[in-house]
Amino acid sequence: MILTSLDGVTADDFAEHTGWAPKPEGLCRGEVCVPAPGSLLDDGTVHIATAAARLGMPVVHDEQHGTWAVGSATLGGKALATATAADPELLTRDGNPFRLSALHGRKVLLVAWSSY
Amino acid sequence: MVTVALDVVPEHTYKWIDAANATHPSLIDAGHVTDDLFGFVNIPMAVWIDETGTIVRPAEAASIQRSPLRDMEIPEGLPERIDRMYREVKAIPDVADDYRAAIADWAQHGSASRFVLSADEVIARSLPRGDDEARAAACFELGNHLRVTVGPEAAVPWWREAHRLFPSNWTYKRQAWTLVTTPEGADDNDLMQGPNDVYEGNWLDDVIAGGGGAAYNLLPQL
Repeated sequence: MILTSLDGVTADDFAEHTGWAPKPEGLCRGEVCVPAPGSLLDDGTVHIATAAARLGMPVVHDEQHGTWAVGSATLGGKALATATAADPELLTRDGNPFRLSALHGRKVLLVAWSSY
Repeated sequence: MVTVALDVVPEHTYKWIDAANATHPSLIDAGHVTDDLFGFVNIPMAVWIDETGTIVRPAEAASIQRSPLRDMEIPEGLPERIDRMYREVKAIPDVADDYRAAIADWAQHGSASRFVLSADEVIARSLPRGDDEARAAACFELGNHLRVTVGPEAAVPWWREAHRLFPSNWTYKRQAWTLVTTPEGADDNDLMQGPNDVYEGNWLDDVIAGGGGAAYNLLPQL
């Protein structure tokens, strides 16, 4: 998740980019909820340092360009913290957004490839 | 089936997608976010997702057809590095027939397929992720953001750090290498990804350092 400020990040933005939804009960993804007091602020934004610390997400900072990146969660020490598939917005060949959730009800073999 | 291209330059994928003329969704992941979200570290890899959106097999090498490279005759007299590269490529294990059969079994038997894993097994079999791997994802993403917003050279220190932190993530490395080793104006990305002045590693030397072609893929445990 790329940030130009650590303030003002909405819960929706945090969920979209990390897969972890800030809720009153904690930071949730699939059936997993991590208690995270202080992560969701009264104005609906996320306290990045607190949320990142609770999920074990490293935050790296490029001082010259005033940009931060929030890394992936390290809960459990595994690439997957839940078997619930993430649902990022990807692009089609024509540049249109597409989410895997559009295929719910069908099996999906998701194959990664590259041109290199 | 859904394909997702891990390519920071979407235009590099178009000729291949167009040539495939596929009827399935052919997606592009220009930020390598699926590396992080699904655990891809090389290509081709795949995850199986059932009708409820639950992963039933985690990311693993996903060839379905034996590559002719595995059986090629290596000509005599090649330059040393080319000869060694061919030998490492030939040594990459190939379980394409078994993997294809497993997919067919899942398609036919669904959740009753013996290749379907429980949620706990899926999580347990997913790759280890500690601070280094997570920090590498952040570095790669930050580098790519700066590549787009500032220029290619701004990505380099962050991508070098991503490579250092997560040396077994081949998509981070191959992506970076090919952008500096492909000659300007070339029709295709450079697949050899040899020594260069920008990054410390290159395909052949990193493969050898990682245990050779035999250790290159995350083979499915079928």
